[in-house]
Amino acid sequence: MSEIAAKGAPHPRFRNPRLLPAAVLAAAVLAAIPVFGSAYAVQFGTDILTFTALAYGWNLISGFTGYLSFGQVAFYGLGAYTVGLLVTDTAVPWPLAVCGGGVVGVIAAALLGPVMLRLRGILFALGAFGLARILGVAFSDFALAGGGNGMTLPAELTPTAVYVFMACVALAGFLANLWFARSGFGLDAMAVREDEDAAGALGINTTKVKVVAYILSALFPALVGGLVAWNRSYLDPPSMFDPTIDLQSVVFVLFGGIGTLWGPLLGSVVLMVVDEEFLVHFPDLALLLFGLVVIVTVLLFPGGLVSLANKRGWLLRRPVLAQSALPVGEPPAAEAAESLGPVLEVRNLTVRFGGLTAVNEVSFSVGRGEMLAIIGANGAGKTTLFNTITGFVVPTSGDVLFLGRSVAALPAWRRAQLGMARSFQIPRVMAALTVWENVLVAARHGRQRHRAVAHAAWVVRTVGFAEMWREPVSRLSPGHQRLLEFARVLALNPELVLLDEVMAGMTREEQEEVRAVVRRLREYGVAAVAFVEHVIAAISDLSDRMVVLDFGRKIADDTPARVLADPAVVRAYLGAPQE
Amino acid sequence: MLAAQLIIDGVLLGGTYVLVAQSLNLIFGVMGVVNLAHGSFIVLSGLFTAWFFGLYGVSPLLLVPLTFAVVFAAGVVLQPVLLEPLVKYGRRMELMSLMVTFGLNYVLVEIALQAFGSNYVTVPYLQGVWSWHGITVSQSLVAAGALGGLLALLLHLGLNRTTFGKSLLAASQSEVGALSCGIDVRRMRLAAFAVGVGLAAAAGALLVLVLPMAAESADQLTILAFVIIALGGLGNYRGVAVAALLLGLAQSAMGFLVGGDAETVLPYLLLILFMAARPKRFARAVR
Amino acid sequence: MTARPALELRDVVAGFGPLTILHGVSLEVGTDEVVIVLGANGAGKTTLFRTIAGLIAPRSGSIRLHGAPIEGRGAHLVTRAGIGHVPSGRELFPRLSVADHLLLGGQRTKPARRAELLRDVYGMFPQLAERQAQLAGTLSGGEQQMLAIARALMTDPRVLLLDEPSTGLAPKVVLAVFDTLRQVRAQGVAVLLAEQSLTLGLSAADRGYVMDRGRIVISGTAAELAADKRVADTYLGR
Repeated sequence: MSEIAAKGAPHPRFRNPRLLPAAVLAAAVLAAIPVFGSAYAVQFGTDILTFTALAYGWNLISGFTGYLSFGQVAFYGLGAYTVGLLVTDTAVPWPLAVCGGGVVGVIAAALLGPVMLRLRGILFALGAFGLARILGVAFSDFALAGGGNGMTLPAELTPTAVYVFMACVALAGFLANLWFARSGFGLDAMAVREDEDAAGALGINTTKVKVVAYILSALFPALVGGLVAWNRSYLDPPSMFDPTIDLQSVVFVLFGGIGTLWGPLLGSVVLMVVDEEFLVHFPDLALLLFGLVVIVTVLLFPGGLVSLANKRGWLLRRPVLAQSALPVGEPPAAEAAESLGPVLEVRNLTVRFGGLTAVNEVSFSVGRGEMLAIIGANGAGKTTLFNTITGFVVPTSGDVLFLGRSVAALPAWRRAQLGMARSFQIPRVMAALTVWENVLVAARHGRQRHRAVAHAAWVVRTVGFAEMWREPVSRLSPGHQRLLEFARVLALNPELVLLDEVMAGMTREEQEEVRAVVRRLREYGVAAVAFVEHVIAAISDLSDRMVVLDFGRKIADDTPARVLADPAVVRAYLGAPQE
Repeated sequence: MLAAQLIIDGVLLGGTYVLVAQSLNLIFGVMGVVNLAHGSFIVLSGLFTAWFFGLYGVSPLLLVPLTFAVVFAAGVVLQPVLLEPLVKYGRRMELMSLMVTFGLNYVLVEIALQAFGSNYVTVPYLQGVWSWHGITVSQSLVAAGALGGLLALLLHLGLNRTTFGKSLLAASQSEVGALSCGIDVRRMRLAAFAVGVGLAAAAGALLVLVLPMAAESADQLTILAFVIIALGGLGNYRGVAVAALLLGLAQSAMGFLVGGDAETVLPYLLLILFMAARPKRFARAVR
Repeated sequence: MTARPALELRDVVAGFGPLTILHGVSLEVGTDEVVIVLGANGAGKTTLFRTIAGLIAPRSGSIRLHGAPIEGRGAHLVTRAGIGHVPSGRELFPRLSVADHLLLGGQRTKPARRAELLRDVYGMFPQLAERQAQLAGTLSGGEQQMLAIARALMTDPRVLLLDEPSTGLAPKVVLAVFDTLRQVRAQGVAVLLAEQSLTLGLSAADRGYVMDRGRIVISGTAAELAADKRVADTYLGR
């Protein structure tokens, strides 16, 4: 293949011999502090653990899932006040109250998540910020718990207990991040971060993933807030819903390395120490320091300390569910056909956007074993048709039936899980992930999801990526990226494959390879294929039938030979002589 | 006449809000950057105005052009250093510039705290009221609202009637198209940011006449600006003007009906309510 | 041709990031020619045009406009030097009017010349003259393409670069657009056109080049290319 990806990129070791001694050392240090350290040391240690726990919680929703939140302190405050109320009004012991705070945080996130997560990007960030401010005002104004004057608590001074519990929460935070970094679910979250729409096309229920991540990320600030309340004698809204707590989470994780396993820890430890030193000399300038850290980090090393370490081959991210060698894999077992009718049926489909009718009363079907080509000039409505069939566009009228059942009401991810796979015109591969992971994401949600790893390995080998399975996709050539799109489609083990201009941008050799794989799709359980294509010659001998679109209407539906000879078709569309 | 009172107060308040929102709209429209530090520029200018007035008794209305000029100059320096380097990141630029302005916000707020302290201030200027058929309107509110609206109108005219303004709009609608007209898009970005933050400063000098302001108001003002834009439609100047006026009205009514902090929470509540009600519209509203 | 060409490329190498798309492209456009660049999707036509227009900086090679080097300059400077770029996808300003587009295109020309250009442009595209206040986003596909060309002509270019003007347009409309290109050539503006549609493209051009995988593989007069079987092969990826 042309333009081979750069090899020789460092790969993470899979059994790092330095890990165990480092863990033992860290545990020893942690244990030593309360035993041998001064009260100041214990307090400082608790502070570091506090912010590490907060950072790890933040990293789940903002780092791994890509939904930047500026309002996690909402849960911190909820946790603190829950604990405060439980302790003053009931006989619940502190540790249990803290757990209660965690539960309240989780419930709140479960209720709010589905609403909040409808927003993306900046809107979500500000919505979260707004939520935290609303809660702050609610607790101030409505005398729920002392109102603006705050609430006094039975003071207990058990710094060691708080320290120990905080260490547990921080550890739990680390483990949650570890789970995200290494599991299939975490991979789904990262897919949502990389490209939410493409993730949907691969069968991921993006709403579910986001809500779970949001709930988990609320648990940690809720627990931390409760623990912080434990040793305070007084709670008030301004300090329990203080936006600078969010600020610190953001700064620490960003500085350490957003979306990484070790970033939150590194960032918290380093910056807390720096902050302590800095505050000795410049007591009131903490905000200034943090603001400058954010600016410098984003401009100079946006991947944080971890990205700097990566350059020296340290702390490299391990691809999810991968071992040191690519498994052999097995081809998918052939399955008996569920129904004998057409695989895909489009009935009177009409799609209107504003004043433009992109697709106009189009009907056709694709039978079992058929390969259908959909051709037409640029702007004829091919891609809109595709997007409607696959669930990315809602039709104005008409229906789409897949394997005999109407899918027009189903979201794109559900259609993908049922066996309808599509590629995108411009490859929407996930650049920060490896080839292996891109394929695995699809394998985990398609019809072979029960044996995802084996199936993914087989797909990687079949399509020809065995040499570069661990390469980050950002290093692949456009031709390879197109091939990867194709591999992901295959990984869904679909019954119907919809290819959107898959030949474009490919050299003649690459096109031959794609044609070879397409011809063999039948062996892999694919019942039917539909192509939208421009490079007609590449698919005219591959397709059994051709449908021609012109300004949204179907003007021909027949064998390629007859279609290409039809004078109406030539007149409307073909500018090239067809021999 | 209560209704009329509330309406007039609301519209005048909305007048200052229009300037706050349109200045952010300009930055977002041309640069694709949501300036989270927007409120801090407003607050720095407002606090400076209050301080200067306290010291020299100079009319704050004269300080409006001064604060504009100073912050404009600051914008000319900040944009190429902090924001232009992020343009190369393409799709990720939006979140990265969010982070950078997030950091800038805290730097500027800290500067405000150090320079002017943390107290709330307002400028006791034009303290009189005009009465008319039972409606009383404070003169400072009229001045602030009218001037704010006037400046916003000037911005609108500048954008839509001058070639330079149209070049700015062109750059926000199609970078490649603008380049093909010989428009220096980089310079358009610089201009949009500098004018945007300059107008934010002007808005601050006006707002401090009618609202108590402190360093910590910065976040709230940023959110306010942002909510107005989100409601009115990002890049849609007419829509934003209407949304600003409506928000002014809503706050005026809410302040009367519920009072206290509820007013300040209103923008956040509106944002979340609209989110819940029409998520698709919001999703499309962001580029 | 004996006179110095309006546009001349020598061994231009260009790409994005680690990828090279153009592998040493050389071509010429004379002062009163319409030259076409043909090739399949992915052959590198758009990259070539974006490189000439200054949106991509070439790694090596030279691009000369009437003898003066313009490679490596920013796109807005390349426009000011005399290259009128009509980008693929047109890149119009949807919320600005037809008249505004022409104003913006002509903002750097002297007023007298600008008035002359405006007259010419409205003469060439009467549909635009009828819709001066209409917002570009509401125009039909054909009108939009004409506006894009008109806007580029307002920059008073020496060379007009047209990237796939037939996209999304019915063939009748495309022929109308190509007709205007002849008028443009008659005014001494050289035209370099990228086109996917083979027969339509050759009908408008004097000479042509065929690109494949970032290289020029065939060149000749329009008649020669029309008769050459290899052209269809390369173009159709056979």
